[in-house]
Amino acid sequence: MTLQEKTLHRYRQLYPNQPLREISARTGIQITRVFRLFNGKIMKVGELEAFESAINEKIAENPSFAKLSSVVEEASTILTNEELAKIAEYVARKVSAKTFGRFYIKPNYESAIIA
Amino acid sequence: MKGLSSLERIILESIGKQVLNFEEIQNQSGLHENVCFNVIQALVIRGFISTDGARYRISEKLSPLMVEEINGKEAKEAEYLELMEALVAQKDNRVFRLQKVAMDSRDEKIFIAMLSNLESFLADAHKKAQGTVPVKERKVIFWGLGEVNQLMNQIVAGN
Repeated sequence: MTLQEKTLHRYRQLYPNQPLREISARTGIQITRVFRLFNGKIMKVGELEAFESAINEKIAENPSFAKLSSVVEEASTILTNEELAKIAEYVARKVSAKTFGRFYIKPNYESAIIA
Repeated sequence: MKGLSSLERIILESIGKQVLNFEEIQNQSGLHENVCFNVIQALVIRGFISTDGARYRISEKLSPLMVEEINGKEAKEAEYLELMEALVAQKDNRVFRLQKVAMDSRDEKIFIAMLSNLESFLADAHKKAQGTVPVKERKVIFWGLGEVNQLMNQIVAGN
């Protein structure tokens, strides 16, 4: 995944249902340009910074994230590889459990039974 | 993530050796409809569960890697921690006690014998009620015994 794709993916995770018009208003990038960027057009540095800034604004709403980032940074220099693996595993499990409850596609029993 | 999450494991335990439909699995596991559905889909995609579209069963041909994911040491340890963490954080009807107890060697032997009795009582109780009590209503019980000195050293060493 390129840096641009990662940034847009992260933006979409933080603002999942935001229409193009609102993305344009938040980033200051023209709506047609936003559409093109989400369809793979290469970003300019300023545009990348605008998305990064919007992402950071959203993250700043949750002060624990800043604490987590700083602790992780410290941990990466002090803890052993094994200990870091345990923490990564712990976080991954938390994320996995949350993800299971987030999205929902209603099962279609009738068509399944007919099939 | 290594191994299965507690949610995935509870679905596998709910199905067990049976062939169940979605409602039956949900009734056994007690998971919310969307969580249950998503976990089942994840297990189907990963090949742990097979389905004919309406009913689900545990796949008959699980690879050694998949068996390791279910029964591996790391996966089980992670599940123990998840369950213990949930139990410690439980707000209603919480039963949890952890104590640092001074115990001479005689009392320690008595305590270990009592644990052995407790284990056989639980095994009998489970055998008696497993056919009637759904997975969601089963009790999570754990016990352990460690020496403070050894545990503290282990915490410092990060093992």
